[in-house]
Amino acid sequence: MHVDIRKELTQIKGGMAGVAIIGAMAVMAISAPLLAQHDPSLQTRFAFESPSVDHWLGTNHVGQDIWSQFVYGARTSLLVGFLSAIFSTCIGALLGMSAALIGGLYDRIVMRVVDAFIVIPAIIILVVLGAYFEPGVWNLIIFISLLGWQWGARIVRAQTLSLKERPHISAARSFGASPFYLTYRHIVPDLGPILLVEFVYAVRRGIFMEAGLAFLGIADPNVISWGMMIHDALQYCYMSVWRWWLIPPGVALSLTIVAITLIGYAFEPVLDPRLRSEVDAAN
Amino acid sequence: MLRIEGLKVCFGKEPILNGVDLQVEKGESVAIIGESGAGKTTLGLSIMGLLNGNAQGTVDLDGLNILSLAEGEIRRVRGSRISMAFQSSRNQLNPSHRIIDQVAEPIIAHRKNGKNEAHTRASAMLVKLGLSSEKFSHYPHQLSGGEQQRVLLAMALAGDPELVILDEPISSLDAASRIEVTAFLQKALVGRMAILVTHDFSTAAKLASMIATLYGGRIIECGPTQEMLSHPRHPYTRALIRSYPNMTTTKDLQGIKGRMERDVSGCAFHPRCTQAVALCREEVPSLSAHNGRWVACHRGGLLTALSAHNLSKSFGKLKAVDGASLTLEHGETLALVGESGSGKTTLARMIVGILKADTGEVFVEGERVDQRGKNFHRAVQMVFQNPGEALSHRLTVLEAVREPLEIQGVGSKADRDKMAMRVIDEVELPTTKAFLDEYPHHLSGGELQRVNIARALVLNPKVLIADEPTAFLDSSVKAKIMKLLLNLQENRGLTILFITHDIAVARKVSDRIAVMREGKIVEEGSVREVMENPLNPYTRRLIEAASDLDSERMP
Amino acid sequence: MAIYGDESLVRMTPELKAHIIERFALDQSLLHQFGAYLWNLLHGDLGYSFYYNTSVWDVVLGRLPWTLLLVGSAVFLSTVIGMILGIESGWRRGSKLDQSLLGSLTALGGFPDFFLGIVLLLVFGVTLGWFPLAGSVTPYAGFTGIAWAQDVLKHLFLPMITLTLCHIGSGYLLTRNTMVSIIREPYILTARGKGLSDARIRYHHAGRNAIVPLVTRTGIRLGQIFTGVFFVETIYSYPGLGNLTSEALSARDYPVLQGILLLVAVMVLVANFLVDLVYPKLDPRIKHAR
Repeated sequence: MHVDIRKELTQIKGGMAGVAIIGAMAVMAISAPLLAQHDPSLQTRFAFESPSVDHWLGTNHVGQDIWSQFVYGARTSLLVGFLSAIFSTCIGALLGMSAALIGGLYDRIVMRVVDAFIVIPAIIILVVLGAYFEPGVWNLIIFISLLGWQWGARIVRAQTLSLKERPHISAARSFGASPFYLTYRHIVPDLGPILLVEFVYAVRRGIFMEAGLAFLGIADPNVISWGMMIHDALQYCYMSVWRWWLIPPGVALSLTIVAITLIGYAFEPVLDPRLRSEVDAAN
Repeated sequence: MLRIEGLKVCFGKEPILNGVDLQVEKGESVAIIGESGAGKTTLGLSIMGLLNGNAQGTVDLDGLNILSLAEGEIRRVRGSRISMAFQSSRNQLNPSHRIIDQVAEPIIAHRKNGKNEAHTRASAMLVKLGLSSEKFSHYPHQLSGGEQQRVLLAMALAGDPELVILDEPISSLDAASRIEVTAFLQKALVGRMAILVTHDFSTAAKLASMIATLYGGRIIECGPTQEMLSHPRHPYTRALIRSYPNMTTTKDLQGIKGRMERDVSGCAFHPRCTQAVALCREEVPSLSAHNGRWVACHRGGLLTALSAHNLSKSFGKLKAVDGASLTLEHGETLALVGESGSGKTTLARMIVGILKADTGEVFVEGERVDQRGKNFHRAVQMVFQNPGEALSHRLTVLEAVREPLEIQGVGSKADRDKMAMRVIDEVELPTTKAFLDEYPHHLSGGELQRVNIARALVLNPKVLIADEPTAFLDSSVKAKIMKLLLNLQENRGLTILFITHDIAVARKVSDRIAVMREGKIVEEGSVREVMENPLNPYTRRLIEAASDLDSERMP
Repeated sequence: MAIYGDESLVRMTPELKAHIIERFALDQSLLHQFGAYLWNLLHGDLGYSFYYNTSVWDVVLGRLPWTLLLVGSAVFLSTVIGMILGIESGWRRGSKLDQSLLGSLTALGGFPDFFLGIVLLLVFGVTLGWFPLAGSVTPYAGFTGIAWAQDVLKHLFLPMITLTLCHIGSGYLLTRNTMVSIIREPYILTARGKGLSDARIRYHHAGRNAIVPLVTRTGIRLGQIFTGVFFVETIYSYPGLGNLTSEALSARDYPVLQGILLLVAVMVLVANFLVDLVYPKLDPRIKHAR
């Protein structure tokens, strides 16, 4: 399975749109200091100001500049999203591969754990964890990773199981290849496309979780988060401020998630040959 | 009555069916025979109107033009007046519904009966097809392939349709089931119109009253079953019957020259036909009636390549050949079987013209042969018995093969050399200078006979008379030479008169057999007929003698 | 002390404090406390909520029905609607209907629960005023019978729609893709050959087989919808477990939080177990394996 990333993305129109949006968000995140008008955490006396030249999105309930918060919020979402995705994909890949290769009781135990983690809503576990531990950004990333690996593990295990039986693996084994060699040289490269798709969806989960937790009140107080902005703005939804306080982070968050979803859809035909033929037929 | 006229079905730009004409009366069942990919199933689907508007032409059921109906109207016809039993493949039945429900469903849907009566009818039909009643509430995956096929048949017949289309109804059944289901179908098809789609002649023979051959998207021959099978009139039908393995085909599998091509101008079969003329390339022949048979051929079906009438020859008091008559159809192999001294070789020599006949006439392609001129020799050639003696020991291989061309004055020297070498290559001999310069006494028996054959073929004859071609050869070589002759026949479309004393070999390689005894032809017919029902006691003796030898050889 | 947190100490009266310390063995080591917790758990004792001043079990039980109502209706609606849309869409694959449904439901699924909830709240609640902004019933209204049911429905509507809309997509997509591959199966041609109506083939023949994967995924979807519930209830101040979580979170009421976690985990696992029981009945190939 050789995946030409560019080809996969460009074949489906949504993929390109997704990339464009994420690109925009990333640019915004990186250049936040340049784009922001003020220090986002600076509280002033001027609360609930409407948008003006000085404050493009007005100010919030403690006088902080909303626009500055908005651009810095992108950082948090993307950072937590990507880092937690990297960790959870790695954990999932490791557990999935090892379960498939080692088999036996280990495999069965891992699968039970995976099933449990899949079914039980991660959010409530994260809430309890977040309540107990002080939610710094790194803690959040670790927690989200620890509760997001199960999806990748299941897919990786399935794929490894089928790869294990392929003739070219048996051939390598007949040459005396060790399990490490097989994993490194044959299995991991073939897992590439699957891991890629899984990574994309893990990023989506990460962004969603971070925002959701912040919305519920579990966030690093030193870090601006779109979720937190939505939470704060919601308290005053009966006032007209929601137009420039509530909507922007909400839309940005949704757009980011939709963009990632589109990228995921663009890559998915790699996984499922049936969908691929639809793509070919559509083009 | 079902009347199909000019049915044309295209998928994309390719026409799969290109003007099919067919008629089925009540009580008749027509078997549509053709190779895979010919469009048989497509024909069935278009009669059902299941082709999503790709079909043009007329499909008329008692005045109702099916192709012109809207989807809603045709649904009322499908499953009630016309039904189709598809060939049982992996998922032909819905895995989530019980068998009895699926069989009863069309009855209920078309409001022929209420639920209970429909179930009763369905059960009765399933029982008749040999399915035990405990299986009725099972699901498809619990049934074997053969049982699933029976369910499909029950589903098609339970609603008592006027026209039933059966797609390979018994090919997925085991031998015992086939007998059972065939017997049932023979009864069930009485009083109905049936179209049987199959590639198997034995199925057609058992279940159909008529056979129609489908080639190149058209029906090219149609006629009563038994007659079609014993005397096919279209070259393709004959070739199909010949190349199909079943219990009664005794001739070894032999293919048809070339491959089915689409987009052929004129008659779709002409590139592969042994009797094609210029007209065949230009115009499409229409299906027309000749003596109770419908054939689509500009030449009216198979032509007679060679016929001999009432030939006699006496040597003094001995009457070697006494009023013998033979007919050779284009592209077939006729075996002339008889013991030594029966007059076979004499007859052959008279045909070729080496011996002058006392009485009788010879016709080539319908024209009487008075003088055997150049044209005759280019049409009819002979391969003699003794290869060593048939070749002059003075001539090299190349010279020997070239000789006929020189005699006839064909082309330039260079051309003749090239033609000779081509034919030498055709008989699987090397064309190296070393070999071409060899003299006959350096060659083995097999090689000599090949040279013989090459020489006979160099003028591109239509008819080849092979007089005991393997008589003087070792047994290991015999088979190879026979195989060569058959391959040549397939590639060149030769008509072969094969003379032999060995009826077992004759059975393997020929379409028809003529038995000769003491100068007279005592029996003649298709191999199947002669071997199964020999009318003449002499023939019977010959057959028994041959099989005795066979059983002797068995360990 | 660890479980209750320092802030809570301020709120307690001395008697209560003594009572709690004694009941939950708080004056002993952490490990002992954990052991005591487990022991109590086995007796169905989830602990005591200092914030609400009753046992955790009582608190949670009071909120449970509303969450069940919300989750239940959302799961039902999203599954059924998703199924029907998926069948219709997959049957007409490539058509305008299919493409527009595919596009819109995919996009819809991309929006996080809480944002959609906020948008709907703002549009229909705040701006248009069609639906109430908070609660599950109008407080102190004293409705009974039909009036009460109507009141409940009015309050239920926006949160239920939010959850449903967010999760129609996954059911729809799965059903649609399954339909697309089912249409190519031979038995659909057989059904057409029987002259059955289009609707019957679509639902009774194709749909019947298409919904099987959806049912097996119900357990997972339930978990996903439960996740959404936490946000949606918070937005609409709907008095279910989700809202309780936010409240308990701000008050750092750990026993309640733990109690919710346990209850949700158990509910979801039981639901999955039930689905595993139901699924074989739907697929005869499993039920009557040869």
